Amino acid sequence: MTAWSRRGFLQGLLVGGGALALAACGGGGSALRIQHAEQTGELVANLYITVLPTGRVALIVNKAEIGQGVTTGYATLVADELAVPLDHIDVHFAGSNREMRTSSNLQITGGSTSTFEAFVPLRRAAATAREMLIAAAAARWQVPAKDLRAIDGHVVHGDARLAYGELTRSAARMAVPDAPRLKTASEFTLIGKVDRRIDARGKVDGHAKFGIDVQVPGMCHAFAIHGPVFGARPTAVHADAARRRPGVIDVIAFDWGVAVVAEKFWQARAAAAEVEVTWSKGAAAGLHTADLQRAMRGHDGSGPVARRDGDASDALAHAEIRVGGVYEAPYLAHAALEPNNATVSVTGGKAEVWASTQSPSIAQAFVAHAIDIDQDDVKVNVLLCGGGFGRRAIGDACAQAAQISQRVKRPVKLIWTRESDMTQGWYRPVYAAKVEGALRGGKVTGARVHLMSQSIALSGKTLFSAMLSTVPAPLARMVTDAALAVFSTSSFGDVFAAEGINNTPYQLGGFELSTEPVQTQLPVSFWRSVGNSVTGFVMEGLIDELAVAARQDPFALRRALLPGRARQRRVLDALEELAGWATPPPPGIGRGLARHFAFETEVAQVAEVAIVDGRIKVRRVYCVVDCGLAVNPDIVVAQMESAIIFGLSAALDQEITLVDGVVQQRNYDGFPLLRMFECPEIIVKILPSEERPTGVGEPGLPPIAPAVANAIYQLTQVRLRALPLQRAWNAAPRATGGAA
Amino acid sequence: MKLVVNGAPADVDVPADTPLLWVLREELGLTGTKFGCGKALCGACTVHVDGQPRRSCVTACGDVADHPIVTIEGLAGGADPAVLHPVQQAWLEENVPQCGYCQAGQIMTAVVLLRARPRPTDAEIDDAMSANLCRCGTYPRIRRAVHRAAELLAAGAGK
Repeated sequence: MTAWSRRGFLQGLLVGGGALALAACGGGGSALRIQHAEQTGELVANLYITVLPTGRVALIVNKAEIGQGVTTGYATLVADELAVPLDHIDVHFAGSNREMRTSSNLQITGGSTSTFEAFVPLRRAAATAREMLIAAAAARWQVPAKDLRAIDGHVVHGDARLAYGELTRSAARMAVPDAPRLKTASEFTLIGKVDRRIDARGKVDGHAKFGIDVQVPGMCHAFAIHGPVFGARPTAVHADAARRRPGVIDVIAFDWGVAVVAEKFWQARAAAAEVEVTWSKGAAAGLHTADLQRAMRGHDGSGPVARRDGDASDALAHAEIRVGGVYEAPYLAHAALEPNNATVSVTGGKAEVWASTQSPSIAQAFVAHAIDIDQDDVKVNVLLCGGGFGRRAIGDACAQAAQISQRVKRPVKLIWTRESDMTQGWYRPVYAAKVEGALRGGKVTGARVHLMSQSIALSGKTLFSAMLSTVPAPLARMVTDAALAVFSTSSFGDVFAAEGINNTPYQLGGFELSTEPVQTQLPVSFWRSVGNSVTGFVMEGLIDELAVAARQDPFALRRALLPGRARQRRVLDALEELAGWATPPPPGIGRGLARHFAFETEVAQVAEVAIVDGRIKVRRVYCVVDCGLAVNPDIVVAQMESAIIFGLSAALDQEITLVDGVVQQRNYDGFPLLRMFECPEIIVKILPSEERPTGVGEPGLPPIAPAVANAIYQLTQVRLRALPLQRAWNAAPRATGGAA
Repeated sequence: MKLVVNGAPADVDVPADTPLLWVLREELGLTGTKFGCGKALCGACTVHVDGQPRRSCVTACGDVADHPIVTIEGLAGGADPAVLHPVQQAWLEENVPQCGYCQAGQIMTAVVLLRARPRPTDAEIDDAMSANLCRCGTYPRIRRAVHRAAELLAAGAGK
């Protein structure tokens, strides 16, 4: 941390608000800006950018760094437009701040929106600072501003140079430009060219601070004991022996479990082994996922139509060939390496949180709800996240830590065990999809998809109340309840469940998509690429089935179904060449193609797959992505690799199953991640583009499962319609008992 | 109890069965070593004891008293904190970290591999590094970085 303190100016300059027009700190802000500059030498150009008298730039990043590279991306946008070297930017994470709610009235990192959202406003904020510095130099030199240039942290006029740090005080007196000029793509010096991450150093030398590493003065530690059945409450707690252990402060029962609180975590952990808990039956008692999935598979229901093109029924009725079946996907855990944890200090009706969170706003809502205070009385400090994938948008650990802190009247760091992290819900929902496709005269004439899924919206009571935080709490609860009552009726087409199909670019003739909610007591949530993680598998399986039945090449059939879709087609063209599709694969290797459009980005992949001793082995993956302009191409490649490997772990092996409400997978032995020896070679090509950057963190995931399943079909003529694929392969009836 | 961590003696007052991981993190403030699974499954807590990789989450500190322990913070070991160990340097050059949480463990494992196999093959890298999980999927870069580190070490970097 530099000597620069962001608290000083944020508290001052936020008066009057209006920060969302990133550059608009003018008007009421100017007197404060001048005063602050006189006192500190700092030019607070706007909420996001402060130029220090040292010439360094403090950048407030209103997103969480979950590994996706947002700090590097945002620093690159600012450094380029402000004309400073990238290593002059110091990133600070924004804490909870109503002025910084940019997505759905939330501060949240998700939906692969960060770069898309900030590409213009953040550059405008930087250009504002640049023009104020130039104006200050022009005034000092008595020359027109248009004759000056900003280069490398200096304002330059002929041979004369002034470092930004020499200009900050006077620049604070300059007018805030209404419409600062932004660089054109051809003028970029860093955007599209930077090939380093700014957050790597602390991550290789051990000094990076994640949520779990936070130290707060006076802090104690808590170990959480959660019940065996999801949602079980402690009904009796015997903790006399545990209380006598050294360092133990208290053992406290809550609705969600038992907290063992001690000076040190190792003391709490040791004492927890001596706590005996009797549990209630639990909300999820009786939930058997095998029964649930069997019921969904056999269910012949209906639901609201989310999309209708032409007449699907007519196409299916008149089909010469019909394809399809039931596609299935299980619950999935996020399993980030940093277990869920939070540090909270509750004093005098207010709470302060330090957490690796994807959403300070949702953390505020969880904490406020848990200890019955206003969301505005919860302050959240954001730390590095040891993985996110959607799980860290949920504030359950923050809420639990707040309740513990309130009871022991000290700051508390709560760390969940891996077993708690894996068994305490908020999974990717379970899915089943009834899929039919129609062919006539060798052409695709129609398709119907009926999608059954547990609704993320229905799990989202606290998420909704976070969005409604400007409304007084009792009213917000009423609005939330009313909204959820609507979502829980079958007339609501679940947008999270259907995304990726409701917006499919394919022209399938008669097409109908309907959705039907499935309800259990297990909370579900966003998981990398959300509904797309399943709908990509469903649609690309269907398209492959149609291609096989029509005896058409999968690239050719897709092109035929994507008339006028230039972006989809150029990605397909590039992939066909990159993967060497024209050359048949060697014996024993199957190749599968899949593409998907999500988060405004088009990704297509070819997987090369073998089956060795009954094990599905993905040897190589070719990936082409069109994500608009790639701000940092190497990070785009890294995110494609990341999403492919993350998606492959799920595609091949992962599932969360329950037997009578008990989650069966408790650690990485039961919920395996791909390890290096199974990691395929991954070849990524980014298509050049000068369009606005689109999503990168998630869109690489949806194509990998169908690409592998389609490759397995090509290799074995066995159609796998259920994830995880290895289990489906092991169970699949086949004549040969295994190919190759 | 006396531990020797990163070349310096450290007196800690903890029961002998306390996992080394929590002694490092809580008693010595060395938070670069991470808690991931608590069952020696993920490798995020890997440190060196007597020059060998150990899962500190399942290592009782009493078992390693007086044995030299090295953590990510002490890996470079030089007087100048700006100078990284060649393996750390290779990790930077290949842009390995994403979230970064597992990388201390990955680096500690790679250092031991490279001592035993100064020019490892891909298969040898797979063998050694498959002990460590990465949820972000940095494996292709880890493999490249291990090769890069081998080059840096051969060129005498960090001597």
